[in-house]
Amino acid sequence: MAKNKEDNFEPKIIGFLCKWCGYAGADLAGVSRLEYPANIIPIQVPCTGRIDVQFILEAFKNGADGVLIAGCHTPNDCHYMSGNYKALKRIALLKKLLEQLGIDPRRVRLEWISATEGKKFAEVVKEFVEEIKKLGPLQMR
Amino acid sequence: MAERIKIAIVPGAGCGGCDVSIVNLHETLLDLIGAVDIVFWPTAMDAKMEDFKEIDSIDIVLFEGSIRTKEHEEKLLLARKKAKILVAYGSCACFGGIFSLGNLFFRRELLEEAYLLTPTTENTQRKLPGKLVNIDGITIGVPELTDANLPIDRFVKVDVYAPGCPPREEVQEKLVGMIRDYIEHGIIPERGTVLAGLKTICDECPREKPEKIVVEKFRRVHEGPIDDKKCFLAQGIICLGPVTRTGCGIPCIKANMPCRGCMGPPPNVRDPGAKYITSLASLVLIDKEKELTDEEIVRRVQEIPDPVGYFYRFTFGKGIFHKTLRRDKK
Repeated sequence: MAKNKEDNFEPKIIGFLCKWCGYAGADLAGVSRLEYPANIIPIQVPCTGRIDVQFILEAFKNGADGVLIAGCHTPNDCHYMSGNYKALKRIALLKKLLEQLGIDPRRVRLEWISATEGKKFAEVVKEFVEEIKKLGPLQMR
Repeated sequence: MAERIKIAIVPGAGCGGCDVSIVNLHETLLDLIGAVDIVFWPTAMDAKMEDFKEIDSIDIVLFEGSIRTKEHEEKLLLARKKAKILVAYGSCACFGGIFSLGNLFFRRELLEEAYLLTPTTENTQRKLPGKLVNIDGITIGVPELTDANLPIDRFVKVDVYAPGCPPREEVQEKLVGMIRDYIEHGIIPERGTVLAGLKTICDECPREKPEKIVVEKFRRVHEGPIDDKKCFLAQGIICLGPVTRTGCGIPCIKANMPCRGCMGPPPNVRDPGAKYITSLASLVLIDKEKELTDEEIVRRVQEIPDPVGYFYRFTFGKGIFHKTLRRDKK
């Protein structure tokens, strides 16, 4: 039974997608009828620079097994000049924190996906879901 | 006032610094003792758990220290039952304190480290505490450690928080004022009152801050001289001022040391460490990012060796994740 449960593990993934690039990319994937797993729950944010590290921890606390963050390409695509860099730096530091907390840092993934990259979005989600499936559910003690 | 009010000072897992800070009230303490009865204070007067159980009601309980053993938990629940006002006194009671950093390890690891592995320990029989022993027909033992070191508000509702490691005179003044209000007018403060300011340390800090604070490279306190007029962060020294409450009178900053965050987070911060990462990371290499590759930026940010130790120094017990999620190998 337990083994069976592992086999059917469908991870919950929260996607924080920036309004200008990540979310638009996801939209394009939808409009182009590209297939990707339904495990991701997209949340639109104005900019990846708006993502407080608290949001990501809160997502894990509330049952997410992975968090995907998609924003505009560096160096010059960010609508707000440098929001994507803020996200890059925060997530770099967050990954170090996660390691100390005993959460695999691979559970957080930052990707630059532009509004034209619907295909990339679908691929990233597919890949990420596979990776989280391998890591298994995030278990609270 | 016909009857003197009763105060108990109950210790949990603490270092005793909070008791010292109470003694440090000087003459105020004498005034206070004139107006109240201290019915229980094991650090200063001889008293056992049984004595505490016998007291039927207490007006104000100051609970010092965090909860690390079953005995602390029992004491805390008793204190809550008896007290009209329960005060979390000191950073450990409020946020778990520095001991909460022990939550990064399993109980077993902590015990082994302390009783077996340290180089100065000689424990040939490899005995660990935790088991009751029978000596001449009397069963004795030490209280069992719980899974994690936690602040008291994870167990009971707390009326008043008096943060600080230990609470400074500024906080104590407010506490004494609260006790006076209770004696004279019977005022019971609103649940969750914090005896400190609402803003952050940066708001009070007199240091010179540049228009844009940019961290070029992280430095540690012992690495070279520190300019005593300039913002710590602008010098690359990690200072928890941006996520720490005012109300302490900024003694550390006046002594040319960065804030370590013992006053805890300001209101509406859910997780102090995560909030600080959000704030600090965005300061690194501002305006120079576009000259560097993403990998280089990540490397520069990750130079901080111990994020939990810096960012949650006094508040790990309060965080969204307050203990390790590793799986125990044994």
